[in-house]
Amino acid sequence: MTIGPEIHPRRARPLPFVIAWLVMLALAAISLITAFLGLGHWAPVVQFGIAALQTSVLFILFMRLKGPPSLKWVFAISGFLWLSFLYGLSMTDYSNRRGWPPLYTTSGPGFEAHQNGP
Amino acid sequence: MPASATLRPEIQFATLEQQGDAAQLGMWVFLVNETLFFGALIFTYFIYRISYPHEFAVAAKDAVLWCGSVNLAILLTSSLTMVLAINAGAQGERRAMKRWLLVTVALGCAFLLIKGFEYYQDFQDRVVPVVNFATKPGEGNAGELFWVFYWVATGLHAIHLTIGIGLVLYMLWRIRRGEITPAYYAPLEVVGIYWSFVDTVWLFLYPCIYLVGRS
Repeated sequence: MTIGPEIHPRRARPLPFVIAWLVMLALAAISLITAFLGLGHWAPVVQFGIAALQTSVLFILFMRLKGPPSLKWVFAISGFLWLSFLYGLSMTDYSNRRGWPPLYTTSGPGFEAHQNGP
Repeated sequence: MPASATLRPEIQFATLEQQGDAAQLGMWVFLVNETLFFGALIFTYFIYRISYPHEFAVAAKDAVLWCGSVNLAILLTSSLTMVLAINAGAQGERRAMKRWLLVTVALGCAFLLIKGFEYYQDFQDRVVPVVNFATKPGEGNAGELFWVFYWVATGLHAIHLTIGIGLVLYMLWRIRRGEITPAYYAPLEVVGIYWSFVDTVWLFLYPCIYLVGRS
């Protein structure tokens, strides 16, 4: 005897999850390759963009953000909202500091030694 | 008589469905806290990385790239096996559920083993601040900041993963007791949400640690 209704029966088909997993592995490989392409300041942008994309797949599909109860979205979005407050308010301090971020790009403490190698 | 035959919602819930929804929402509230916790840590990392770009690039070259990359693949795969276990649980395929959960535990343990090997390598490379650290040419004092972040972030992540492994083992124990059934598998679902969150943390730690200063 089953007591109470079934809770959100999941689709039995594993294919969408397997495809999502393969896509995430491919994205991880792309992220790794970008580290060696000499993209400069764009490298972290691309790499964290890929991480954000992978996270979206995990959140929506694997962590079942898609599906009832839809109140989950409120909690998930609130997390990123608070995170943006944390980053935004902290940056009001750093962005108003003199000499930050440091302007050196091809020189600076330790850079010459780095260029010369160990 | 299996425990599932007497499955009733807790007194404060009208139905098992409502109880399952509340459990999921509770986990999401916890994950909001975790997001802020790891988010603040990564923010600190970025402040220092922007302040000392070259020193961080030099220091990060000592991070063992293959360990971080293989571990990323392992965690992504473990998220798949976890979700397959939940699907099997929802379909009442008890044997498949247990099998996928065991694979998930094995992948989690593999991650920790590789991480342990990496920590050993790090110790050999003398990149353990305070305990065994040698400043490399070009990294200056700021290089040590990178390694402080590395140990704190990966250590916290490893603790979270260990807790996750413990939770999956607990689920296996509950399955054995007949407490996870197609009628009520919310505990397994909640553990799955936690497991994938730990995976997402590594998705961000990976570029922070392993992809810096490679080109």
